[in-house]
Amino acid sequence: MPRAPDEPVLDVRRLSVRFALPKPTLFARRSHLRAVRDVSFALQPGRTLGLVGESGSGKTTTAMAAIRLLAAAEGEVLFRGRDLLKLDAEAMRAERRNVQVIFQDPYSSLNPRDRVRTIVREPLDLMRGGESMAAREARVAELVREVGLRHDQLDLFPHQFSGGQRQRIAIARALATNPQVVVCDEPVSALDVAIQAQILNLLRRLQDERGLSYLFISHDLGVVQHICDDVAVMYLGQIVEQADRASLFGQPRHPYTATLLAAAPSLARRKSARTARQHVPRGDPPSPFRLPAGCTFAARCPRAEARCREAAPALRDVGGTRVACHFPLGG
Amino acid sequence: MPDTQAAPEPVLSIRGLEVAFETRNGTVNALDGIDLDLFAGETLGVVGESGCGKSMTALAVMGLVPNPPGRIAGGRILFAGEDIAQASERRMCALRGRDVAMIFQEPMTSLNPVFTVGEQIVEAILLHQDVAPSAARTMAVDLLRTVGLPDAERRVGAYPHELSGGMRQRVMIAIAISCRPKVLIADEPTTALDVTVQAQIFELMERIQAEIGAAIMLITHDMGAIAEMADRVAVMYAGRVVEQGSADAILDRPLHPYTRGLIDCIPVLGKQAGAAQRPPPLSEIPGVVPPLHALPAGCAFAERCPLVHARCRNERPVLTRSGHRVACHAAEREIA
Ligand SMILES: Nc1ncnc2c1ncn2[C@@H]1O[C@H](COP(=O)(O)OP(=O)(O)OP(=O)(O)O)[C@@H](O)[C@H]1O
Ligand SMILES: Nc1ncnc2c1ncn2[C@@H]1O[C@H](COP(=O)(O)OP(=O)(O)OP(=O)(O)O)[C@@H](O)[C@H]1O
Ligand code: SF4
Ligand code: SF4
Ligand SMILES: [Mg+2]
Ligand SMILES: [Mg+2]
Repeated sequence: MPRAPDEPVLDVRRLSVRFALPKPTLFARRSHLRAVRDVSFALQPGRTLGLVGESGSGKTTTAMAAIRLLAAAEGEVLFRGRDLLKLDAEAMRAERRNVQVIFQDPYSSLNPRDRVRTIVREPLDLMRGGESMAAREARVAELVREVGLRHDQLDLFPHQFSGGQRQRIAIARALATNPQVVVCDEPVSALDVAIQAQILNLLRRLQDERGLSYLFISHDLGVVQHICDDVAVMYLGQIVEQADRASLFGQPRHPYTATLLAAAPSLARRKSARTARQHVPRGDPPSPFRLPAGCTFAARCPRAEARCREAAPALRDVGGTRVACHFPLGG
Repeated sequence: MPDTQAAPEPVLSIRGLEVAFETRNGTVNALDGIDLDLFAGETLGVVGESGCGKSMTALAVMGLVPNPPGRIAGGRILFAGEDIAQASERRMCALRGRDVAMIFQEPMTSLNPVFTVGEQIVEAILLHQDVAPSAARTMAVDLLRTVGLPDAERRVGAYPHELSGGMRQRVMIAIAISCRPKVLIADEPTTALDVTVQAQIFELMERIQAEIGAAIMLITHDMGAIAEMADRVAVMYAGRVVEQGSADAILDRPLHPYTRGLIDCIPVLGKQAGAAQRPPPLSEIPGVVPPLHALPAGCAFAERCPLVHARCRNERPVLTRSGHRVACHAAEREIA
């Protein structure tokens, strides 16, 4: 089905995810942790959408629910016009090939007892009515070459590779079924900067060659600025700001985004020049167990006023940016 | 600082330090002739890729090299003039925590889960200081206040798991500074924390340093952290120091091809932040660090170096003498 050029490849609408918490006593009412609350975003074809935010803000949960590796409580996820969350098991299995994922830890995401050849081929083996073994093997060889591994490494085991090479194996595996959407959950966070650069360049090249769309999770804002075309900032299970790269990094609107940018280490800040940070962020990342009324960022926000503690700000458009704040910066 | 003033004495001076491990592949040198100086009141940043020997350097100073399979195989570690490289365990116990203290990446593994944070601080105080237990308890609360733990009077009775990651790291710092050490080694103290909390911990470390005048060795893989925190920097590669100098010199005028590569491959936040078009590909350092058992005879970086030449293959470059020091045949020619 041909799509209009700017029709999203993945259209996530009002997604919510809850985790049941253990009951404190046998007869107590079961309570829930609201990990993702009413999140909407669109991933455009051939582009990379970044999800950033502190630990526990709900980045992984959002992405996993969006590709149905985790059950959502509410919402819909339109992929090629169909709601992934409503597909029956069989139909979902057929769609799996189109939405793949790469994890942070290449050490634990690859089966240690399988050879590279088997690891990369497995998604093809699982496809119904797939190609012949010879055709699959040929594809594996091609993929392994594409991600920069040698043909003679096909029969080695994961432990025989470095962290960066293992991430290459994971990428080859994710691309085996020729997906359109790839969720990358902190794919370079466990790697040294030198290897990180190799993997980021590889991901970019594969995107250009294959027209891939990435949902890219990272806590490193430098990496996000480099690789993402659009960025959504999450705080306590919600998107608080979303914009294209130039707007988000050039003119952040939400005080939390500004806080994150000010906190990130930067080569431009020098001890010798006493380029102290403008404000050191206050407080700890909040706990989702007791959500405050009003704006969830109010306790740490330098701009908070009485109104912020009473009414939760809704996402709205400010100068082309979606922002959830009563008093956005520069607007 | 150190390079400009009239030759101050370093509090810690490491010379030709070697740490050897017995492995399946024979004896390997995890540290292969390290030279480092640490001066009072300064922060020395130590950077390099995973496995290059940053933590091992710290462990050697603390007398904590796992033995067996490891041992200090050569060199000197001069602390206030005394060589502690071969000091007895008894001597190291007296120094450790009192004169030389360390904070680790994951506070949860270095705090004892079954004791309150207050009990653990009190224990550290009583080990080295001649004070009554009641006085130690008062000191513990004061220390928690110093490190900015909110609600210190109440939190002194908390167990580690009841605190956030940032709070636990503050507790670790409280323990580390309880005896006002002369040297504080921080091994990736913020790697497990969010950037917002990292900024708080860095600010705390700077404040503490100003207060007690400790020399800090900050081990990190993050050049941004180095830029922000370090007065001087040592860059390590495969168990050797390959470049050492002021932070500005290392960051603005790196001499070693490895240091240049490390700086150039970082996606710098704020660089062309408002630009609409995608940034060009990052520059890469090709290949990976060679394993310790397969280090080449000459320069360990030769396989990945854009400036490699015949001499690099068979002659190991040594650190130049003073100021901005570098171990590279090509850079030596540049300076000369
Ligand atoms: N299986 C689960 N059961 C209960 N709670 C969960 C589960 N998975 C995640 N959570 C909680 O949901 C919230 C969001 O977690 P999530 O892992 O999505 O955050 P994240 O932004 O990916 O964080 P990180 O940067 O640490 O990976 C957190 O409070 C987390 O503790
Ligand atoms: N028990 C051991 N047996 C053999 N080699 C060891 C042992 N412990 C450490 N090593 C080696 O010592 C070298 C230095 O390790 P070290 O932990 O100091 O690296 P690092 O620079 O701190 O790396 P990272 O950034 O990953 O923390 C590594 O190559 C490692 O393989
Ligand atoms: S709504 Fe108020 S408290 Fe929330 S981010 Fe905006 S200014 Fe800060
Ligand atoms: S000594 Fe030679 S191989 Fe080593 S860094 Fe210098 S130029 Fe490169
Ligand atoms: Mg996550
Ligand atoms: Mg280490």
